Amino acid sequence: MSEQSTLGQFDSQTSLIPAGTGAEGTLVLTITMSVAATLIFLAVMAAVWLAWRRERPGHIWWLWAGGFILPVIALVALMVGSTFTLASIARVDRDALVIEVTGHQYWWDVVYDPDGRALRDANEIIVPVDTPVTFRLKSEDVIHSFWVPSISGKIDMIPGRVNELTVEASRKGRFRGQCAEFCGLSHPLMAFEVVVLEKDEFDSFTAGLSDEARDADTLQLKQGRDVFLNEGCTACHAIRGVAEGARVGPDLTRVGARAALGAGMWRMNVGNLAGWIADVQDMKPGANMPSYNHLSGPDLRAVAHYLSSLK
Amino acid sequence: MTETSNKPVQGPVLDSLPTYEKAWATPPGWRKLSSVSHRVVGQRFIVTGLIFFLIAGMLAILVRTQLIVPENTFLDAETYNQVFTMHGTLMMFLFAIPILEGFGVYLLPLMLGARDLIFPRLGAFGYWCYLFGGLIVLASFLFDAAPDGGWFMYTPLSTKEYTPGLSADFWLIGITFAEIASVTAAVEIIAAILCTRAPGMSLAKMPIFGWYMLVTAFMIAVGFPPLIIGSILLEIERVLGLPFFDPAMGGDPLLWQHLFWLFGHPEVYIIFLPAAGMVATMLPTFVGKPLFGYGFAVAAVVTMGFISFGLWAHHMFSTGLPTVTLSLFSAASTVVTIPTGVQIFCFILTMAQARPRLTVPMLFILGFLFIFVLGGLTGVMLASVPFNWQAHDSYFVVAHLHYVLIGGMVFPLIGAFYYWTPHFTGRMMSERLGKWAFWLMFIGFHVTFFLMHITGLRGMPRRIATYPEGIGWDRLNMLSSIGSYILAAGVLIFVWDFIAHRWRGPLAPRDPWKAGTLEWLYAPIAPGHNFHAIPRVHSREPLWDQPELLENEAHEIEGMLRDAPHGRRETVGCHPVSGEPLQIVRLPHPTWVPMITAFFVAVSAVALLASFYYVAAAALGATLIGFAVWAWEKSETGQTVDTGPEGILPVDIASRLGHTYIAVIGTLLIMVALFASILFGVLYLWNVQPDFTRRAGDPDLLWIVLAVVAGAALTAMAYLARRNGYVLYDIVIAVLAGGACWALYQALRPVTPDQTALAATLWVMAGFVAVQLFVLGYWSVFNVLRKVFGLAGKGQRIPEVNRAPYALVTFLMLVAAAVMLGAPQLGVFA
Repeated sequence: MSEQSTLGQFDSQTSLIPAGTGAEGTLVLTITMSVAATLIFLAVMAAVWLAWRRERPGHIWWLWAGGFILPVIALVALMVGSTFTLASIARVDRDALVIEVTGHQYWWDVVYDPDGRALRDANEIIVPVDTPVTFRLKSEDVIHSFWVPSISGKIDMIPGRVNELTVEASRKGRFRGQCAEFCGLSHPLMAFEVVVLEKDEFDSFTAGLSDEARDADTLQLKQGRDVFLNEGCTACHAIRGVAEGARVGPDLTRVGARAALGAGMWRMNVGNLAGWIADVQDMKPGANMPSYNHLSGPDLRAVAHYLSSLK
Repeated sequence: MTETSNKPVQGPVLDSLPTYEKAWATPPGWRKLSSVSHRVVGQRFIVTGLIFFLIAGMLAILVRTQLIVPENTFLDAETYNQVFTMHGTLMMFLFAIPILEGFGVYLLPLMLGARDLIFPRLGAFGYWCYLFGGLIVLASFLFDAAPDGGWFMYTPLSTKEYTPGLSADFWLIGITFAEIASVTAAVEIIAAILCTRAPGMSLAKMPIFGWYMLVTAFMIAVGFPPLIIGSILLEIERVLGLPFFDPAMGGDPLLWQHLFWLFGHPEVYIIFLPAAGMVATMLPTFVGKPLFGYGFAVAAVVTMGFISFGLWAHHMFSTGLPTVTLSLFSAASTVVTIPTGVQIFCFILTMAQARPRLTVPMLFILGFLFIFVLGGLTGVMLASVPFNWQAHDSYFVVAHLHYVLIGGMVFPLIGAFYYWTPHFTGRMMSERLGKWAFWLMFIGFHVTFFLMHITGLRGMPRRIATYPEGIGWDRLNMLSSIGSYILAAGVLIFVWDFIAHRWRGPLAPRDPWKAGTLEWLYAPIAPGHNFHAIPRVHSREPLWDQPELLENEAHEIEGMLRDAPHGRRETVGCHPVSGEPLQIVRLPHPTWVPMITAFFVAVSAVALLASFYYVAAAALGATLIGFAVWAWEKSETGQTVDTGPEGILPVDIASRLGHTYIAVIGTLLIMVALFASILFGVLYLWNVQPDFTRRAGDPDLLWIVLAVVAGAALTAMAYLARRNGYVLYDIVIAVLAGGACWALYQALRPVTPDQTALAATLWVMAGFVAVQLFVLGYWSVFNVLRKVFGLAGKGQRIPEVNRAPYALVTFLMLVAAAVMLGAPQLGVFA
């Protein structure tokens, strides 16, 4: 998969260059409706202009034509087109691959194969190309909304409810998604990335997901792992094979492999990781993680190196 | 009316005035605050609304300045969230609706041929509630507790768990308080339009603005209650911990969204319709011909009022509603274009009748047509579900809503300022500055908001304080911000003109625009009173079609009730449909009671915020006493007045055509809408969380039956009491009301409200019925006191006539509540 984050990539979050069947169907509708709306607008403005120029009264038929007949024709056409598009994109595919995504203030918990092996990851969603995928969407706290404009429209994640959305990515690449329902202080900083891979690449990715995290093999990495274990990080974060079970914060088993940090907001590198750990509350106000600004320089460097080695 | 307020204003200057001018004089100096005249109250609404508009506009400039570059640090996230929340809140609740109601309050009596609005003290009370409520909301900035959960306040983000502190309480309490102004104005406008038109002004001859305001008032009466109930439920959840919106306890966060948008969608039309009514009034003036297709326009407005209540779920397309529901709401949403299209074509065809004059108000009307049509078309796009899933909560929606609200409301409003300001001040605003204001606003508006359509389709969500660099939003946002400064410059020029015209503007002649409606009958020197005599009206444009009106000096025109021989404020009460005179309505003189009463409500609201619950209860008690003082006046039913040309008419009739009866029906409409909102909550929770139905205990069936029996007996008494005014009836009604309350309480005792959302909602439902019963009891006790003190004698039975329908509706609510309480254990609806 490409290592380059979508951050700074032009049009990585646009609905106008679709990369999924939902977005493609909607774009056709968008273009058709925009053209029709433009024509109707021009016609109405032409009527205003004519009315301004004319000196004799218009006939009541103009009212029937402009107020009833034309709108009814336009609306019936719109409803037919819209309903067909809706029928083709709104169907939830029961046989599709299921990925469960749960919204939290302000990150995304991702579980592959939730009814089977339940492989946990966070803030990055890997999907196979040309394959229906059903997202099972939940929330643990407030309402969030799951939106990857390039692939599909949005659907809300509502506490106490499960919403489902079937999408099919139509080309490979990396696309940006973002929470679209105002969810609190750091709502603008709640993004994620969707990586579309070939089917076989996807299969080998999920196969590797159940593996334990990469072992700490240098002195500094071992020190970093110890800091992680001793500073209370494990109360919220899990690393498979190192500290399992915690689900309050994002799973960190492959954190170093993600292209972005802090739920799709900063580029992943050791420097940003160290800054993040020491200064979460400044980078993402209101996040549930405290700033670990009491860590010593070497400890901070070590844990940042350790985390970025987890790929 | 209090004892003191019956007397006309005294003073050395006033003594020299003729009786009529003296009766209608506005008190001088600081005592002007006690005025309840519609001119004074209307201008207060308009000026206060304008100030809130400027504050909210300044917040918008802060928003645009923050977004001018990516990753900006001008505002931090918390401040930004407060700023956009308050921008929306102030614009929607404290600017748009109040200022339009202000224009309605000011203009309606003048257009309809009345000397004042029909319940002047209620209007004044509403204004003070609006002002105090608005100040409470604004004061949150001082306590660093400005609401930051969005103007839509979605649960669970707005619950105590995710929004601790007072910010959400400031919003809920302040806005609910300010909404009192909206609903009181709604009742007042309904009664004023139906009951105080000039002789001969049938509904078919009513100026079109009256129709627009009538429909708007009905929509407010039905549309605001869902939000009031939602706010009360949310505040109860925040303060008492009752779980209305908690899914783990049988609640649902979506219940809030349903209640909010049941209000929120009609709200948009409540804002649009009065502004469209202004356009429909101004446009014929500049064309010089009547509105084309008056009947079509009226039918369209009424239709729009109804349709607007069936569209709310299109704000919730992405919440995971079933596909069938989506399709139905999608189709219903598009249907509203038909009545809108009819109105737009009425306007266009009006212009076709003759060459219009291109004045400043006319420019703003053309701007309205251009912007609003475009906004309407993007609205139709949003009604398409698949498109909505992409565009919802993106900048596309931001663009759309500003097109319809600024195009549909702000442009007509500023046109209306240019048009009616001569009436307020006697001076004309500047044509030159008006043109500058228009072009800057028009260009700035499009630069700001047209680009947002593209920003939204490029994936930018709303309500984000910062956005990352380089993903396609940078330049669009910068241009939008620059556009907003141009727009703001246009608004500032208008504001400057509005201030400076007081000394720079030329004096306005009589009927300066050559308009056809009655408000221009007098020369606009703001005399403080409306009609020396109320003329008979034969046409929708009396000033065009009745030459005797403009040929004579205004104060010499022939009409009803010439002058005020007894020094009393009076106007003509008409038949609601035909407009023929039925009665004489006695109106109150200046009084401080409404202001003091509103002040007590404000004390109660502030005490609630500060958790001083005893103070809040005491202030609420003082409010009730205030209402009693207000209504403590000698009944004048049975007296007669010689009106001149229309003969002798009775004063304040006790009849189902009387203005107070119509006002009670309007009030009951609000009450029914409030009750229906709670009923909606009960049925909704029952439906989505059936497992919780009987988990919190079952109500006691015997007590339920007793409550219903007491309610039935009470209603029978209330109807019997209409025939004769025995004090015994009042006493029995009060006792039965108390008994029914007690029985309801006993019935609900086994149900623990903090255990499930449904149980909590049932308690609220019973509580609402108890409030209704309390009103009946209070009303009856008050009536006893009035009779004992000789304020109401034989045959003076307005309270009895009006109480009967109130009792009947309360009884029906009681029955509905009894069914909801008893049904689960009986296995009905199982």
